[in-house]
Formats: sequence, C-alpha cells, structure tokens
Amino acid sequence: MRAPISLKQKFLKKWISGLQLCSTCSKNMSILERKKSIKLSADIAMASARNGRTCWSLALIANASKNDKDKLLVEHILGNSEFQRLNKISIMRPTMSNKRVRCKKILKRSCGTIRRVSKRVVPPKILASCVAKRLSTKRTQVLKSLVPGGEFMDDVSLIEETLDYIMSLQTQIDIMRSLANATELVLSRKNEQW
Amino acid sequence: MEPDVGTGPRSITIQPSLDQNALDSLQFNEEIQHLMTVPPENANSFTALLELPAPQAMELLHHSPESNASAAQPYHFSGGANLTFPSNIALIERAARFSVFAAAADNNNNNSPETTGSVPSNSSGNLGKVKNEPAESDSNHDNPNSPQPSQNQKLMKRKEREKKAKATTKKTKSGANDSNEDAEKLPYVHVRARRGQATDSHSLAERARREKINARMKLLQELVPGCSKISGTALVLDEIINHVQSLQRQVEFLSMRLAAVNPRVDVNLESILAAESGSLMDSNYSSMVMPLMWPELQVSGNRQQFEQQWHLDAHHQPAWGREENQNFVTPENSLLSYDSSANSASFHTNHLKMEL
Repeated sequence: MRAPISLKQKFLKKWISGLQLCSTCSKNMSILERKKSIKLSADIAMASARNGRTCWSLALIANASKNDKDKLLVEHILGNSEFQRLNKISIMRPTMSNKRVRCKKILKRSCGTIRRVSKRVVPPKILASCVAKRLSTKRTQVLKSLVPGGEFMDDVSLIEETLDYIMSLQTQIDIMRSLANATELVLSRKNEQW
Repeated sequence: MEPDVGTGPRSITIQPSLDQNALDSLQFNEEIQHLMTVPPENANSFTALLELPAPQAMELLHHSPESNASAAQPYHFSGGANLTFPSNIALIERAARFSVFAAAADNNNNNSPETTGSVPSNSSGNLGKVKNEPAESDSNHDNPNSPQPSQNQKLMKRKEREKKAKATTKKTKSGANDSNEDAEKLPYVHVRARRGQATDSHSLAERARREKINARMKLLQELVPGCSKISGTALVLDEIINHVQSLQRQVEFLSMRLAAVNPRVDVNLESILAAESGSLMDSNYSSMVMPLMWPELQVSGNRQQFEQQWHLDAHHQPAWGREENQNFVTPENSLLSYDSSANSASFHTNHLKMEL
C-alpha cells in the first residue's frame, strides 16, 4: 500500500520547512538534539499532512505544542491559522470520545455485573473466551500506548487510527530514507573528490 | 459501482427466531444512541468512512418517515407464515434491495467471502480515506441502517417475506453498524437474530461491535505484511504491534542518520541538487517528489542518462567545487521557497525536456 503522491509531497514540503527553521534556530547542537529536532519536524509534518482528520495526528500535534520550544516549530510548520483551527479541534475531540468511551464502559460494567451474578459454574467454552478476551485487551492496551492519543479511543476507532498511522509511518520512512541516502551519497562523493 | 449499490441503502429487517418475539427494544435503542454519538465536526470524515455515503444516507432518511408510519402494523404479526407487508412502496423497495443482497449472501456460507474480495480492490483504491466502507460491510451480515426522524419511535421488527424466509436457511444477523453517517439524526437499527441465538439487545450490540472490529482487523491484516495468514485476533494484534514498533524504531534510526550526516540540521538542497548520483532515483521518488524537489534529477534510473543530463546542465558543474551552503543559481533558490515551488518545478522539467 503506497500513499498517494500528494501526501508525500505535502509531507516533504512541511518537513523541509521545519528543518530549515531548526537550522536557523541553533548553530551548535549535539547530535542527539539534532536528531530530536529532525524527528520532531518529521512527525509534525506527517501529522499536519493528515489535516486534522485523524485522531492520532491531533494528539501528536497537541503533545508537541505542550512544549514551548517545540510549539514554535509546530506553528511554523502548520501555519498560524491552521494551528488555531487544529487547536480547537483537538480540545473538543478527546472530550467527545471520552464521553463515548465512558458511556460504553458504564454499560459494560452494568451488563457484566448482571451476568456475573447469574452464573455459578463457568463452562470451559466461556472460560476460553474469557482468556481470549483478556489476551486481546492486553494487546489493545499496548497498541493504545503506541499510537499517539490512543488512550482516548475505543476499540473500533483505535483500529482505524492504527491503520492510518501505519500508513503515514511508512510514507515518512520512505521519504526520510531517500533523503538520508541522498545526503550520504553526496557527502561520500564530495570526499572522493578531495 | 456495484458493491456500493448492493451494499447501499439496505433495509434492515428483523427476522426473529420463531420462538422469540418481543425484545427490549427501547433499551437497545438507548445503547445504540450511545454507540452512535459522534462529534459534529467529525461528521464529514465519518461519512467518508462509513458504509453509506452521504447521499444514500439521505435517501434512507427520506424513506424512513413513510416506513415508520406503517411500521406499527407488522409488529403484531407472529409466526413465519404468509406475511403481507404493508403496501408501502418504500418498504417494498427496500426489502427488494435487501433480498438481492441476501440472495447473494446466501450463496456463501462463510462469514466474509465478499469482504475479502472487496477489500483488496478497495484498499488499493482510495487511499485518501484509509478506511473503506464497502469493504467493511460484512458481506452477508449486512448492516443497513434506517435512520429515523427525530421522533422517538420504538425499534420495530419487520418480518421478512416468505420467499426470503425460505431462501435463508440460517437467518443472518445484521447488527448495529456505523450509523455515524447521520450525525444529526439518531439512526435506529433493526437487526436480525441468528437462529437459536440470544436476541437480547446487549448481545446483539456486542455482536455488531465485534463484527465491526473484525472487518477493520481484516483491513489491518492486509496492510501489515505477513499478517493475512495468521488467524486469531490476539496473534494478529501482536503482529500489528510489532510492526508499529519497528516502524517507529526505523523513524528514530533514520533521523539519527540524518543528524549524523548533516553538520547542521538544514537540508543541503544545493548540494543534493548538484549531486550526481544515479541512485537518488529511487522508485519512491520517481513520480512524485521529483517534480517538486529535484527536477533536474529526472525519472531516469540509469546513470548514463543522468550523466547526459549532467553534461547538459553545465552551469551546475562549477558549483561542485564550492562549499555546501552557497547559493548559486536562482532557480534553485526559488525551489527552497515553497511559495513558487510548483512553478519552478514545472519550469525546470520543461527546461530539461527541451535540452534532452
């Protein structure tokens, strides 16, 4: 599955502009700081390329904006008006999905207690399903920790967000790898020249 | 688009098992409402995501007032014998549409033959919206929605026609589905219960939810390499988690590489533009990034061709000996300012085409 061309172009544009901002910011950075800023601008560029349509992108941007230093970068990449808009959306969105999640949890809890009371003996079939359920809940928890903003989502939207996130990550990796290859080749050739 | 039409406005009909009849429909409705609240600004994205595209949802909306008016009558029917539907045209129409789908579904006894068939085609299709709702339709477990106007009507079960009852040996169940398409109206979902299975609202909702999740998991399985052979949710989730982790690690690694390569964080576009490396022509770049960023390095995969270009763009050569960050040619500078990126890119490609 390859992302559409426009997505790659958008990402690349935003990422490069973010990198330029980083370079003008500070002259002497350790390698780790450089790496962090590169990664951050890549992430933000990817998230902004999604245009606020996915939950994980909003969460990523929101997390980045918490830090004052990074907030500048976010604003630069996003452009001021879009930044405001996404801020508004990101404030509203987790609360909404929280409500939904909470309602479902209440419902499940109420159903669960009723069911538990009636059963005395647990037949093996149901035991197996309990085990399976526990396994999958464990894994969904892990997945929630991986996907940015995953803790607020219910199962269904979590899977959708994961889909989108995986695709964006792959795009990001493709472009970053190409750029890294390019710069390395350039440098190696330059060294050959001398 | 056949799949869309077929899975389009499906009428939800209830075919309770012969033994059980009434349901706690009001409770079910409330639960559905909980499941279906969507923040308004997401309505657009969700309409894109959902099975029913917005126009078809609107169509259903228009149909529902008529159908609800006559819905009261079938409620009193019992048994599966010759049922006469109310002569409402809308109902008949929808039932007909559903029967087409049900007939198709009856040919397959497994769960998701059409889903898997439609998933690849759909997933290769619009990638702009990642989730593909026609694929998501759990084929024969069809989840049509009949949105109702804001009047608070009870969930009505409608009995199927005789021929449909005969056709389906096993009554299929369609559960609550994404009714997020009508964010403004509260859709009411009519479900069919499997024969011999509990028809209480909670288990129905649970089953609906599970089917939704399963459909999306199939999409994920397609995306993650090596996942389609695995059966079982937990193992698939394992694979997905591994994949996400590996992707994140790759991002870290690549950013470290870039940090190591560059003395400064900026991207030395000038040097890259001036570089003569054939291997820059990754397949990734071939069609999309090139026009934007490095138009001189055209889509050729061969070094030879590139050497040709290199000789032609003779004015770039003196730049080779210079330092990295000098600005040499104004067209390249304009590339860096993304205001006119599109214009300059097109200029360059035309220029090169002429030269070649």
